[in-house]
Amino acid sequence: MGRKTEITNLLANLPRLGAGLSYRRPFREELLQKQSEVDFIEIIGDGYLDAPPEKLDELALLAEHFTIVPHFTSLSLGSAEGLDERYLEKAGLLIKRLAPPWWSEHIGFTRAGGVSLGHPAPLPFTREAVDVITRNIITARRAIATPLILENVCSPLVWPGAEMDEPAFITEVLFNSGCGLLLDVTNIHTNATNLGGDPAAFLDQLPLDRVVQAHFSGGHESKGRLVDSRAQPVPEGVWKLLELAVARAPVRSICLERDDNLPPLPEMLWEVERARAIGRQHRRWN
Amino acid sequence: MELALQQKLVARLATDREFREKFFADPVRVAASEGLTVAAEGLAQLHQEQLRQFARLLRTRRLAQVSLRLPLTRKALGPRFVDCFRNYAVNPPPPGRRPSEDAIAFAEHLEDHAAAPGLEPAWALSLVRYEAARIEAEWHNRRLVVRCLPHAVRRLAELLTAGTVPEGSQRRPTLAVWWRASAASRLKHWLG
Repeated sequence: MGRKTEITNLLANLPRLGAGLSYRRPFREELLQKQSEVDFIEIIGDGYLDAPPEKLDELALLAEHFTIVPHFTSLSLGSAEGLDERYLEKAGLLIKRLAPPWWSEHIGFTRAGGVSLGHPAPLPFTREAVDVITRNIITARRAIATPLILENVCSPLVWPGAEMDEPAFITEVLFNSGCGLLLDVTNIHTNATNLGGDPAAFLDQLPLDRVVQAHFSGGHESKGRLVDSRAQPVPEGVWKLLELAVARAPVRSICLERDDNLPPLPEMLWEVERARAIGRQHRRWN
Repeated sequence: MELALQQKLVARLATDREFREKFFADPVRVAASEGLTVAAEGLAQLHQEQLRQFARLLRTRRLAQVSLRLPLTRKALGPRFVDCFRNYAVNPPPPGRRPSEDAIAFAEHLEDHAAAPGLEPAWALSLVRYEAARIEAEWHNRRLVVRCLPHAVRRLAELLTAGTVPEGSQRRPTLAVWWRASAASRLKHWLG
């Protein structure tokens, strides 16, 4: 069996979680009351490293009611200066505590020269960057046995001197690292709107058999451009792209992200239900 | 292997407005002064507007994180919260700073600028101090945090949470106490 088939089979054995949402503290109580409407939750893992006892209690409470998938933003897999070993160790302990089906990080960097960006910056689409992130991913996977999936990033910034396009870059990273893909359809939609390009054609160039999870959210417009603020309802363009992705990729979970301007929980649950229905329609789950 | 230097430069450009403007004035020289050799000319082609937009995106994300940690302050200040944050976030967060530390630093910024227009009503400052103290008690492993505040914090919190705009001066001394018996024990809170 070839390595590619082996990895695809490994990903195919991951559980089908359904539709969930990214957890935010303000809606905790209401979420617990409506747990039947959410198939899983995603937490920002960074927020639970070095956490006080109350925060860990919160995590234990959530774990009693939901499957939890930890999503990280600051491991900085694309950092040429290498991984922060202490951060990796703490992330590993958190993942061990949660025993999730997988965990996720970004195809980007958040740390360089003592600056913490707090949000993933894109990498240059070069062989050197592929080598750097592959090396770091191998280190991370040696430390953490749970499957790692990687997210495509959203950024208005494009590095000069690209040696390939973004889909080719993502494909190289996935194949070299043996990871699954966390497909953020809003990131594709936003980048295509701001930088030009056809989001459906972008999807077609990705190795969709690697998709494990999808992210979707709604940004806002500012000065004629889309800002990936995750602060608004999901626009129709993103819904269409999500449907296209779910039709083509063996998605095992779909997660709604909302960071700011949080609406009443039922509004978000309506979007979760719509995503669940898309998954059902394409027989990704029952 | 210049990628580490390139990333360092981009990270600084995205978070330090003064450095960014200096770079745009003479990109090749600034890139070279940061140690870049082969890639200096390439990075000189970084798109100015794209970098500014990326810097704004980073600020938007920081704002969302800080808002989650200062919910009453955000409600109290409304759109002025965003304006104040924009002034505060001109400079990058210190290395390794967590969102909770960013929120406390922003609260300190608000206190420092309390005399400036935009921080009315006066009770908003009590909420700023209250929420910053709560974060300090939760995240900084403090055994005891005490704040004496001149306004009716509990009442203000109830009104704002219910979506009601508090009227009047709301003056009423409030004592807020957080304590934990040991680093591993749960945080207790008393507000009276």
